[in-house]
Amino acid sequence: MSALLRVEDLVKVYPGRRKTPPVEAVRGISFAVEPGEFFGLLGPNGAGKSTTLGCITTLVRPTGGRIVVDGLDVARQPAEAKRKIAVVPQTRNLDRDLTVREGLTFHGAYFGLPRAEREARADRLLAQMQLTDRAAAKPLALSGGLQQRLLIARALMHDPKVLLLDEPTIGLDPQARRLLWDTLQGLHRQGLTVIMTTHYMEEADRLCQRLAIIDHGRILTLDTPAALKAALPGGQILDLLLHASAPLAPRLAAVAGVSRVEKVASNGDADGLERLRLFVDPAEGLLDRVLRAVREGGADLRHVSLTPPSLEDVYIHLTGKELRD
Amino acid sequence: MTAFLAILRRDLLVSARNSPVLLMATLTQPVLVVLVFGNILPRLNLVADEFRAVMVPGLMSITMLMAGVQGVLMPLAADLSGSREVDERLLAPISLGGVVMEKVVAGAIHASLAGLLALPAMIALMHRVGGLDVSPRWGVLLPMVVLSGLLCAAFGLTIGSNIQPRFSGLLFAVILGPMMLFGCAYYPWASLEVLGPVRFVFLLNPLVFISEAMRLAVTPDIPHMPIGLLLGGLAFFGAVFGALGARSFARRTIL
Repeated sequence: MSALLRVEDLVKVYPGRRKTPPVEAVRGISFAVEPGEFFGLLGPNGAGKSTTLGCITTLVRPTGGRIVVDGLDVARQPAEAKRKIAVVPQTRNLDRDLTVREGLTFHGAYFGLPRAEREARADRLLAQMQLTDRAAAKPLALSGGLQQRLLIARALMHDPKVLLLDEPTIGLDPQARRLLWDTLQGLHRQGLTVIMTTHYMEEADRLCQRLAIIDHGRILTLDTPAALKAALPGGQILDLLLHASAPLAPRLAAVAGVSRVEKVASNGDADGLERLRLFVDPAEGLLDRVLRAVREGGADLRHVSLTPPSLEDVYIHLTGKELRD
Repeated sequence: MTAFLAILRRDLLVSARNSPVLLMATLTQPVLVVLVFGNILPRLNLVADEFRAVMVPGLMSITMLMAGVQGVLMPLAADLSGSREVDERLLAPISLGGVVMEKVVAGAIHASLAGLLALPAMIALMHRVGGLDVSPRWGVLLPMVVLSGLLCAAFGLTIGSNIQPRFSGLLFAVILGPMMLFGCAYYPWASLEVLGPVRFVFLLNPLVFISEAMRLAVTPDIPHMPIGLLLGGLAFFGAVFGALGARSFARRTIL
């Protein structure tokens, strides 16, 4: 299958100024997005997500590498490539001097849609994004969530093949965020290819079919959310609640497949029960071995629970815990 | 070309809607200056009658410059450092050069209309005072207004792509103020002969050429700059600001 978007060895170095050194924002990123895919770029602030998106949309000029959208080299045929893509930028750059509906029809005009077609499309998209009753309003009078839906409507005016969204749910309340998720999932179901940057795990996990985790300008890993979680070493958490006469932790730590054991401080120690947290890799017979070790240690097991790893665990494992600006 | 025309249509529509505000912003100053210097002071015999005829083309040029500031410079500075509406245009199927060109053309239309509106407004305000010798030559005026409008828009593009909106106060004090005072708006360049070679320093100010172009077209009897120098100056500054503005605009939009 031929990819709809192909990013090859993308490099972007922002040149230094007098007082600032050059910044290597992207240091050799490659990935391909298939038609109809929902693809995510996940990473901390400053990881290179927005720069990568900027290169795809022609607003950032790559230092090296190549980007091909639907067979068109973005650097060589920017005008044609721009017809294939649509962008929902991080800055909500709606045209403040036009009404909601005019913003859509003019966007269509910029892309050469004939009048009848752009009027019809604008009405359809306003209805689809539940904005019909706000058609005559000015964009700044809309709430953040409505502005975001209007940006999506505008992006869809010229019938793009790929929709790119740069951190689309930043600053939205939970209701608006969920509605936006539904909207994006709906568009994806209709066959639109979607590429989104985010640093919200829940969002990435819920929406994206494949994820590239980016940091310091490089792709650290790229896979489905499920595979990323499954591949996390010691990623599953096995919680044991037991009654032990002798210390059990060293015995459990020696079990094959257990990478670490932590004693969990609990508030109810009065019940004489011990809580142990085991970081394990899912493997054949693991639970059997753990249970055997518990029995051999002479402990009385009361409760067992298994917590699958979250995407956040994967993310923190890969990108580290230090604070980003 | 489709995108270019659509964007231009959008800009003209928005300008037309905002015209009351834009008119106030551009016409207030010439109207007030004319009231004081062209109406009140001559009646008090504090200003010579000739001054009024000298002032009319000069105020047209100042009006056009201000239109370039209000129509191109300010919105562009705000857009580039905040709202980024410009990105929508850059994502349309049009080249960066096309986006720049559209800004200059829209700004030139705005500045030209402002200059052309200022003229009858001033004549009307002064018509009750005798001795005003203003006789526009429309065949000369229209091309001069268009050239000057392009220059004003290119000037707005250059400064607008380089200035942070928070420094706009400084802009008026340090750039626009001196430009207007030394822009031959209130005296013809030819009369600066009394200053000796210093008069050539004035040629560093692009507004001088606009004022002289208006003078040539509106008050042909008053001495004005040789037409070759005048056209050369308009073309030179138009080209310089066009190129500088395009470069700065590119630097601020495509990273």
